Amino acid sequence: MSSLASASGLAPRVAGTMIRREVTPLLSSSKREVRLRVLNLYRSWYRQIPHILMDYDVPVDQDKCRAKLKEIFMANRDVKDIRAIDMLVAKGQMELRETIEVWKQKTHFMAFFRDSVQVKKTDFMSKFLDQ
Amino acid sequence: MIRPRGRMLNTVCSVAHHHFNPSSSLVLPTTTTRSLSLGQPLLQAAKQPPAVVPDNRVELFIDDKRVLCEPGTTVLQAAAMVGVEIPRFCYHDRLSIAGNCRMCLVEVEKSVKPVASCAMPVMKGMRVKTNSVATRKAREGVMEFLLMNHPLDCPICDQAGECDLQDQSMMFGNDRSRFTDIKFEGKRAVEDKNIGPLVKTIMTRCIHCTRCIRFASEVAGVDDLGTTGRGGDMQVGTYVEKLFASELSGNVIDLCPVGALTSKPYAFTARPWEIRKCETVDVMDALGSNIVVNTRGGEVMRVLPRPNEDVNEEWISDKTRFAYDGLKRQRLTLPMLKNAQGVLEPVDWEAALTGIAAKVSRVEGREIAALVGGLCDVESLVVLKDLLNRLGCETLCTEEAFPMNAAGTDVRSNYLLNTKITGVEEADLVILIGTNIRFEAPVLNARIRKAYLHNNLRVAVVGKKTDLHYEYDHVGDTIQALEQLANGEHKLSKDLAKAKKPMIIVGSSSLQDADGAAILANAIVLADKLKSGSSSGSSDHDWKVLNVLHRHAGQVGALDVGYTPGAGKIKELKPRVLYMLGADAGVVTRKDLAADAFVIYQGHHGDAGAEIADAVLPGAAYTEKSATYVNTEGRAQRANVAVTPPGMAREDWKILRALSEFIPGASLPYEKLEDVRHRMADIAPHLLRYGAVEEANYFKQSHALVHGSKRPSHSGRALAPPQTVLEDFYMTDSISRASRTMAKCIQAARHHKTTKYSVS
Repeated sequence: MSSLASASGLAPRVAGTMIRREVTPLLSSSKREVRLRVLNLYRSWYRQIPHILMDYDVPVDQDKCRAKLKEIFMANRDVKDIRAIDMLVAKGQMELRETIEVWKQKTHFMAFFRDSVQVKKTDFMSKFLDQ
Repeated sequence: MIRPRGRMLNTVCSVAHHHFNPSSSLVLPTTTTRSLSLGQPLLQAAKQPPAVVPDNRVELFIDDKRVLCEPGTTVLQAAAMVGVEIPRFCYHDRLSIAGNCRMCLVEVEKSVKPVASCAMPVMKGMRVKTNSVATRKAREGVMEFLLMNHPLDCPICDQAGECDLQDQSMMFGNDRSRFTDIKFEGKRAVEDKNIGPLVKTIMTRCIHCTRCIRFASEVAGVDDLGTTGRGGDMQVGTYVEKLFASELSGNVIDLCPVGALTSKPYAFTARPWEIRKCETVDVMDALGSNIVVNTRGGEVMRVLPRPNEDVNEEWISDKTRFAYDGLKRQRLTLPMLKNAQGVLEPVDWEAALTGIAAKVSRVEGREIAALVGGLCDVESLVVLKDLLNRLGCETLCTEEAFPMNAAGTDVRSNYLLNTKITGVEEADLVILIGTNIRFEAPVLNARIRKAYLHNNLRVAVVGKKTDLHYEYDHVGDTIQALEQLANGEHKLSKDLAKAKKPMIIVGSSSLQDADGAAILANAIVLADKLKSGSSSGSSDHDWKVLNVLHRHAGQVGALDVGYTPGAGKIKELKPRVLYMLGADAGVVTRKDLAADAFVIYQGHHGDAGAEIADAVLPGAAYTEKSATYVNTEGRAQRANVAVTPPGMAREDWKILRALSEFIPGASLPYEKLEDVRHRMADIAPHLLRYGAVEEANYFKQSHALVHGSKRPSHSGRALAPPQTVLEDFYMTDSISRASRTMAKCIQAARHHKTTKYSVS
């Protein structure tokens, strides 16, 4: 198996020289490859959305699901480490399989939308009064 | 018969105190004092004088590691220098050497018997073996004897888990004993002693290390503890049943290597392994002793000292150690507002702040005043000042007064303990003016006693005669005596003027009334006189003479950020709104305010302040907030959060910040604690230099101002500090007033006075 330098680009700089750490890739060995995996996963989810909505009795429509799908992917847009992306893709595939096979319950699927989660306010006064 | 062991060991005492003064007068065999450079050819030495002073350090070997140390060092200390820890029970850094536990036996080459390393001075070429077969056998033997006479009650012993005997028997003991008790006589048993409400004694566990006896007679200065009997019948105790009457008594609990002396309030409440430790500072006096607050499940279980050479060494006073139960009683936990019937009623935060804001907005800024107490942290003081200044209020006062004529508090050196606490050890004369330092700063008094014993420090007292636990020259009771001293007319004047490094310590308790100005002015004149007298003879021109000893932890911080000392301005103003931040001394009453005045109290205890308030806001005590305190030296120190505030109480700066949001046009821009700290740094950068003392040095200017103006007149009253006897020591602030332990101490001290065993 070929090894590659840390792809994060954040390797520490010591005394003016870049320290390169040899790591074993999880799956992908290049940025191009990992990008393809991400796009593949996105496409699979996108195509499955109509079928999923037929399987689950949930109060969301296709547009909402597509918007949420994009939102969840974009939430990880700043992840640059190839190995981390590989791991995220693997987890996404697991989620997809669980959804398609109806291993999930309705509530599990709706958990993607987090519509029952109350967002706590972070400004000083809200924290002071609600604490 | 009581035999105070510490006194009998004078021959080895000087060895013990070498850490205090390395060049102590120790007589040693000539072989050890011979300089190492003697081997150099004389001619060469004459041509090139050596750049360094000849090294007279002694060379020895500990476990084949070479050590160079000053003559007079003990083998045990030399071993510590190369990281070899020798087990010990009786030896303690800050006490004289007893050498009676024998646990520190080590093998020394060419010595017939093992030697007690804690009492053996180093000798040239000594080869010490701390882990040889002979050493280990000696230790095992000692341990076997100790355990033969020690109960196996670790499961019910409070010391278990932090017990030296337990730890060392695991490390160095044998796993079997020859103690069989074939006649079923039982182990040695000793009756427990009742020595007061703080220290619990289980004397069967005592291993006769005599640390407590040495502490009592050397550091605390009370010869209450001693030994009776000898050999197997030896007992440590007070001989007759009486109170261990010392304000530092709790320290023997830490010193006791076994569970013979434990804490009475802490008994059977927690185990060391289930406790969380939080390093913080104390606020019971103005020294800011470093402490570790031990908590379990959001409750303070006990308070222990944290070593800090510059402040408290490793001692703390009994109030610091035992007043923590006051943090759980009489607490304010809910915001309260007076209802239509004039009764305080619990409300939620929003209602409380809205109600207060409505009252505050009703009046003009100059009709508002603030009064802060002695336990306030700098953060809340700064936020309160910012808030009220925004409203146009400039009347912000502290409860503790300070004379404001001449330089007043404008010159920082006027109100600090300028020489610092460690300065006591360099000084050769301390003049105490109007302070009973033993109760106002017990740990500082212990340091003065230490210098009195080992440095021949001379102490003179102006004020009422009290027992300080050392001898002193009594200058006089009255302000006239001080005046005579300042004018150089007193019979002691000539004598005292000879001092090379004099210190004057003025107690802030004596500066509270109208005579304060005269007392401080005379102290400044006297300081200038002593300074000019001493600097001609000594080379140390930076030596500061004038010191003020405060009584409250928050006072220096409040003066540093610009509060006006004393409530005089408030009484003149008769404000319509009074904001009291932890003001519990009862300095201001309803009579001093306008008839329709609205009083807001913010603080942690339902005490004098909350009693007169129309609105009560529950704040956090010193163990519950991350806060800055400046001690009487001007040393900024940070208290940390050990537990969360109870009920709906909040950190104090947050309450003020939240209130600002409800008052139109006064909203403060602080979101986080860091924002407040940035603001503090803008006002005075030293407030964030934790641990360091920001010095002040404007004595000349201050003296010139005093000299230029007329010396203030005075009533000629006697200087009588408010705390004179032991029972006055225990309750001085809202926390200690709420403490049951402190109440028991007062009861015990009062009872002690009625017994025939009380001194003075």
